[in-house]
Amino acid sequence: MKTFLAGLLCLISISLSAQRITGSVNEQVANSTKLSPISGANVYWAGTTQATVTDTAGLFSIPRLAQSNLLVISFVGFRNDTVKVGADSELQVVLRSDQTLDEVTVRSGSGSIDRLSPHQTEIITTRALAKAACCNLSESFETNASVSVSYSDAVTGSKQIQMLGLSGTYIQTNVENIPSLRGLGSTFGLNFIPGTWIQSIDIGKGAGSVVNGYESMTGQINVELQKPDTQEKLYLNTYINNFGRAELNLNLAHQINKKWSTGLLTHGSTLQNRIDKNGDNFLDLPLYSQVNAVNRWKFQDEKWMAQFGVKALVEDRMGGQKDFEREMRGSDQTYGFGAKINRYEFFSKIARLFPEQPYKGLGLIVNAAVHDSKSYFGVNNYDGKQKTFYANLIYQSIIGNTNHSYKTGLSYLLDSYNERYRNLTLARNESVPGAFFEYTYNHLDKFVFVAGGRADFHNLYGTQWTPRVHLKYSLTDQTTLRASAGKGFRVSNPLAEYYGNLVSARDVVFRENIRPEKTWNYGASVTQEFTLGNMNGSLIVDFYRTDFENQLVADFEDPRYIRFYNLEGKAFANSFQAEVNVVPVKRFELKLAYRLFDVKQTVRDIYDQNVLLPKMMVSRDRVLFNAGYALPYDKWKFDFTVQWNGKKRLPYMGSLPDHHIPGNLNSTMAPSFYNLNAQITRTFPKWDIYLGGENLANFRQKNPIMGADQPFGQQFDAGMAWGPVVGRMIYAGLRYKIVR
Amino acid sequence: MKTTIFSLIIILFLGLNTAFTSDKDKEVKIKTSAICEMCKARLERNLGLSKGVKESSLNLDNKVITVKYNPDKTTPEAIKATIINTGYDADTQLANQKAHDKLPSCCRKTAAPH
Repeated sequence: MKTFLAGLLCLISISLSAQRITGSVNEQVANSTKLSPISGANVYWAGTTQATVTDTAGLFSIPRLAQSNLLVISFVGFRNDTVKVGADSELQVVLRSDQTLDEVTVRSGSGSIDRLSPHQTEIITTRALAKAACCNLSESFETNASVSVSYSDAVTGSKQIQMLGLSGTYIQTNVENIPSLRGLGSTFGLNFIPGTWIQSIDIGKGAGSVVNGYESMTGQINVELQKPDTQEKLYLNTYINNFGRAELNLNLAHQINKKWSTGLLTHGSTLQNRIDKNGDNFLDLPLYSQVNAVNRWKFQDEKWMAQFGVKALVEDRMGGQKDFEREMRGSDQTYGFGAKINRYEFFSKIARLFPEQPYKGLGLIVNAAVHDSKSYFGVNNYDGKQKTFYANLIYQSIIGNTNHSYKTGLSYLLDSYNERYRNLTLARNESVPGAFFEYTYNHLDKFVFVAGGRADFHNLYGTQWTPRVHLKYSLTDQTTLRASAGKGFRVSNPLAEYYGNLVSARDVVFRENIRPEKTWNYGASVTQEFTLGNMNGSLIVDFYRTDFENQLVADFEDPRYIRFYNLEGKAFANSFQAEVNVVPVKRFELKLAYRLFDVKQTVRDIYDQNVLLPKMMVSRDRVLFNAGYALPYDKWKFDFTVQWNGKKRLPYMGSLPDHHIPGNLNSTMAPSFYNLNAQITRTFPKWDIYLGGENLANFRQKNPIMGADQPFGQQFDAGMAWGPVVGRMIYAGLRYKIVR
Repeated sequence: MKTTIFSLIIILFLGLNTAFTSDKDKEVKIKTSAICEMCKARLERNLGLSKGVKESSLNLDNKVITVKYNPDKTTPEAIKATIINTGYDADTQLANQKAHDKLPSCCRKTAAPH
């Protein structure tokens, strides 16, 4: 509950825009403390013509104005009342009759939140995150229908998310509105954000806001970390599972004085147990250890809010054949995989607030990061280094009144990439100054229209225009329609994005210079809330289509190569999803979701002909069912999730005849499978214990590694993992909290 | 394998059952020294998480907390002890001084009404 409140407070401080003043006008009933509403009272901004009248319940709603913050309330027979309106958006006004000369009382409630975002947004709260106790961002989507997570290969342990039928690289993933998991960080990035650090996750489907840049193509995910001024002074989480993975998280928050607070988030985890359950002589999970920490400082007073901090991460992974040791690196007898990642980051956010004009704000985000990874796959080495500097200046205000608001600003992105794979060197420097403007029209929160555009001046690829529009219309209190359309643009990093496929005998071939990827995304959704008997529920149906103007094609059709080239022809991804949520009895929640993907891509076949094929490794169908029940105050909490993943297309994996190569190599289909997760939590006043299991049905892909018996032979390929490599996983842990 | 799933489902429904049986539940009303919403949240949570308590609700106007409990598992004395150890008075019994001093200043007895 407290975290929820903290989250709310946080949201209030962020959503400075789209505010209307609502309130009630009352009179005091004689000789009583009771209030009775006044209907027909005039409410207007002093010195303007913006006015409204209270309804029969004495309620009014009026947009904020730039010209005035003095709200006048008048009614015949009563003294006029003038209220200076600050950050509050709900007022209760009590008018005194003309005869009495007593002072007017004004009470104000807390600010309200614009929860009706024009974007199709799902929020995963701390409470929902605790449903899947484990471990980092990649496991945070277990109970979410829109995002799915999978291992990309059977050796490295890197994970990929998928949304709207496309991989995570097309989703802009931000940490507190700073673009974060991008570039070389996209390979293992999901493992870099421990679950206990996360306060909430916002998942936006379709084109995103232009404020955060041009890279959101199918959606955006924003992760909010635990704040230094949170209620929890100390939060300790320990975790262990049956494979021997151990984890320790410690979050500290300290309020130094009224204005300053500081927080430390730390994480350490390791797996040193060699597991080979499927007997292919390869480790099912890589051995690894990770140390990860954030220290941040926050200053807040009425006019300024500043946050700054540093992040540091060191990770060491080793996988491959069971008896591989570090010293054997480069051996052509025993296959080994290793990756060392060092990542350092500085971030700061400064905001100027205007307490008298809460719709106004000026913010500056500055972020600098160095990402350094050194890997080897058998005898092949791959080193990558990325240096990033990012700055975003945002100003928001209103035009006339809060029905019309805008955000505008300037951004700058500097990216320096340096990669070396075998004897191939890839280097580039991107320098991208940009400017954006986003206008929002809000009519009573019922109809919201957002139109935004940005221009970015890319030093390598020229000027890029990114237009995006969003529309929200609430037909009734229960029915909301949303639609969005927009362009996205990104420069791909083929080796980092197809990292898992490097664990194979395939030769990497760049057929041409890879151009940036460009997409157009269109989508619409309906949200319908309903009541069945005394059961509340909601139904969400959405459809999105992503059309590629250019795409990085990673072609695995020929088992000898990974070919990278630009798209020639069509590529698209259609996604349809229907989700029902019901609460049959108090604290008992059920969710059922179905998702359909139709993802196709034009690839060149062996005779250089373009053919449109279903994209590999994408399940056409997926079903998710989640049931959760909690006793009051979460004394006991039960959670159960089943996912069914449909068939996926796999590339041809057989050997090639020498004389005659067929034009269309037969692809195979990976079978469908179930995934069952469950968890039980018991809460005590200061600590929680949890016990859970993942993949309880113990489903395993039989031979996740092709040609595992000859890792240096032509058939070797570990990049074709389509299902769980390890079987059932049972975990247990403890959370300890000291609340302020 | 299947037994694991079944046992989990059974546990889930046992949990549901225990939540709905309320025939023999008793109710007790205790006057406390709670002051504000924070006190209310703290007291209700600590009671809600203690043994045998089904529900608790504090009325800030008269500072009386109404606790629904299972008499087989707990007693009004144990409920009062939880209130005292949270740092608040329970009827005539005074708060545990140590726990009281740990409360934020706005929740202590010395705080001005707000």
